[in-house]
Amino acid sequence: MSEVVLQAESLTKHYGDVQALVDLNLEVYAGEVFGFLGPNGAGKTTAIRVFMDEIRPTTGRITIFGMDARKKSVEIRRRIGYLPGELALYPNLTGRDTLTYFANLRGGVDWAYVEQLADRLVADLSKKVGDLSSGNRQKVGLIQAFMNKPDLLIMDEPSSGLDPLMQREFQSMLREIIAEGRTVFLSSHTLSEVQRVAERVGIIRHGRLVAVESVHDFRSKSIRRVELEFRSPVAASVFAAVPGVRDVLSQNHRIVLSYDGKMDVLLRTVADRYDLVDITTQEADLEEVFLAYYRDEATPDEATGNDSTSHRGVRA
Amino acid sequence: MLSGVFTKTLRDYWLRAIIGAVTLVLFLIFAMASYRAVDIAIYTDLPDVFLELYNIANVDDAGGLAYGTVYSFMGALTLAGIAISIGSGAIAGEERKGTMGLLLANPKSRTHVLVSKAASLFLLMNLAALILWGGAHLVPTLIDVNVVGKETGGLVLHMLVNALFYGFLALMIGAWTGNKTTASGVPALVMVVSYLAVGILPLVEGIKDLSRIFPWYYYTESNPIFHGIDWGHLGVLFSGVVVFLVLAVFGMNRRDLSARSAAVTLFDRLRNYPFMHSVIERLAGSARVSRIWVKTMSDHQGLLVVTGFILLFLCVIVGLLYPVLEDQMQDFSEDMPEAMDALIGQVDIGTPEGWYQAENFSMTGPFLSIFVAVVVSARSLAGEEADRTMGLLLANPISRIRVLSEKALAMLVYVFLLAVVVFVGTIAGSLLGDLGLNSVHVAATCFLLGLVSLVFGTVALALSAATGRSNFAMYVTAGLALASYLLQSFLPLNEDLAGYAKVSPFYYYLKSDPLTNGMNWAHAGVLAALIAVFYGVSVLLFQRRDLR
Repeated sequence: MSEVVLQAESLTKHYGDVQALVDLNLEVYAGEVFGFLGPNGAGKTTAIRVFMDEIRPTTGRITIFGMDARKKSVEIRRRIGYLPGELALYPNLTGRDTLTYFANLRGGVDWAYVEQLADRLVADLSKKVGDLSSGNRQKVGLIQAFMNKPDLLIMDEPSSGLDPLMQREFQSMLREIIAEGRTVFLSSHTLSEVQRVAERVGIIRHGRLVAVESVHDFRSKSIRRVELEFRSPVAASVFAAVPGVRDVLSQNHRIVLSYDGKMDVLLRTVADRYDLVDITTQEADLEEVFLAYYRDEATPDEATGNDSTSHRGVRA
Repeated sequence: MLSGVFTKTLRDYWLRAIIGAVTLVLFLIFAMASYRAVDIAIYTDLPDVFLELYNIANVDDAGGLAYGTVYSFMGALTLAGIAISIGSGAIAGEERKGTMGLLLANPKSRTHVLVSKAASLFLLMNLAALILWGGAHLVPTLIDVNVVGKETGGLVLHMLVNALFYGFLALMIGAWTGNKTTASGVPALVMVVSYLAVGILPLVEGIKDLSRIFPWYYYTESNPIFHGIDWGHLGVLFSGVVVFLVLAVFGMNRRDLSARSAAVTLFDRLRNYPFMHSVIERLAGSARVSRIWVKTMSDHQGLLVVTGFILLFLCVIVGLLYPVLEDQMQDFSEDMPEAMDALIGQVDIGTPEGWYQAENFSMTGPFLSIFVAVVVSARSLAGEEADRTMGLLLANPISRIRVLSEKALAMLVYVFLLAVVVFVGTIAGSLLGDLGLNSVHVAATCFLLGLVSLVFGTVALALSAATGRSNFAMYVTAGLALASYLLQSFLPLNEDLAGYAKVSPFYYYLKSDPLTNGMNWAHAGVLAALIAVFYGVSVLLFQRRDLR
């Protein structure tokens, strides 16, 4: 594998009794988009704030570009672009003032590039940030993060508020960054945001890193989405007993379920006893794999949080 | 407290109303205690214009004087000011914050929201008035001052209705425009202009009756301290309240609500004029964001301009008044009670130096300057965490020390500018009134004034650095400043305790009487050392802390 850009070693952060991060180990490599996934309150933002030296770990350490994140924070930040979650800017400055301010603090920002980014994202820099809609404010935040051509981009929920067109533009900007060998660390609670650009994803819940896998491995997990249509209604309970079946949904004559077993086992369960009209199966996308991961361990309130953030894409 | 719009509004503003009222009661204690010991002829002999403006015409004893200055004059302005701040925040403030849309997404009519807010404004002002009324009764008994013949109930009721008048005016303007600046600015302007007009116009023959068109007339003209309630005058003010409420309901219902917005400053408006554009663009735009400390200064420009003008005005006017009041002041200085003497720093008020110190350098000067230093420190450092912009600021390749020190630099420049203003104003006042102050000594005093302000500014900085909470830092530092001032003022009255006054930074500011004696470098050194210590502590605390 290529050079390690960001490394977390046994990272733990406690707030009193609350364990925000527990023994987190992570490596992000040069030239990849690393997706950092987890439900709200899982510890994503806490981890990012530790990377940025806004808060300090209780134990463990962070190395970025081979430098200690605490001791060499300024040098590290020179090469980082950062977009915080729930972006707050100075309401009384215009977009242009805001970017000028940060460009002054950074030094060495090419203003022509800033204009270029603004054009791509169709950002209005003449208005006061306080008068912008949240999507347009987010654009100012994105330009700010991209404008110094950082070696590492750290972004917390970057596409929040962006319309689909802008999200696509944003994703192509990310691909260009990767093509230049730079690195992106992308935190999100929506998989759709990450799966189009990320090579690897880390899943975090309750402050613990549950898994790190390549998006490809996720996709090749044998979970399939199966839709069965019958002549007459069939009870969901029929499928509950089949090993590998989960999330059974009964809609009149249709049964929708997730399945990670052998297809003939499933078919034998139904074919002899019921009048099967049609069957469609699809490769599960990241989102469903993600949900499956959580369903195994999630507490009830967490499961609700997942459901609200998941969204099912329409696929051919 | 969140059961409805009414109670939520109470919850948002009750502290403001109570702090205002309690502060006035404390002032009353203090005023009665000092006036009790004075030959008040010094006040009653003041020129008429002062008597009118301070609301102490016809006053004949210490009790009346205290009620007049603290309640009738200062109290009425303060109470009305609180009402304006609540009234303007009620509707327009909620629009500026962008919460109005959410509030009205609930099945409540605009009228319901407005009337609930009006009702809580009404109740809160009554609460404040009740505290004032209680204080008016309690204080004279506590410190044994004779207040026979003073109609405190009538006075407080007049103050209340007067305050409601301005509060509802603010509510109405807010309901019509949705602009908080207009909603607070216009009533404040109306209040100050009408207060001045009612004080000054009656002194000018021929246009006496003109003062009747100003609302303040119906508050003060009947002299409620002595004559109690004047229902006719109160009726005029109260019909104003009712009319404003009706207009507010009407205005609120017919208008498009505004969404969350940034405040528009004068610079912003000028920026849009083509012929001003390039100059203003530099000032308001690129120049202002060139450095952290420049931006910090720009963020608090309003504060600097207002306090600067107040200080300049006071410094000049004090010089101008001296020739008029010189003889009286010399008599006064002989009768001065010890407590009063202590507060102005044990100086002879009959001399130009003593006069300036008593009027400017002992209280208003340091209070305003410290106020600015503390607000700028706390708001700029901890405020950036509260506004959640600190993370983005520190995403830049700059150290925390640099952020802290640039914020401190902005505060330093502010304090320096105010010291310069005080210096220029004092020299101008001295020249205009022919007081013959030694300009080097004035400079030394202003220098010490700047240092003592920086001491408290750095205390606020340290508290902000330690906690990231700007209100906490401001209130605690203000409390410390007040305590230090009182320590330095009152400990010397008791010989056994006099030595302890040295723990107060104020001791090193005026104890050496720099206006008369010039610079005391040892004392300046002590202040400088304190500044260095608190600054050092700020750096250490800010370095090691988790940001909010």
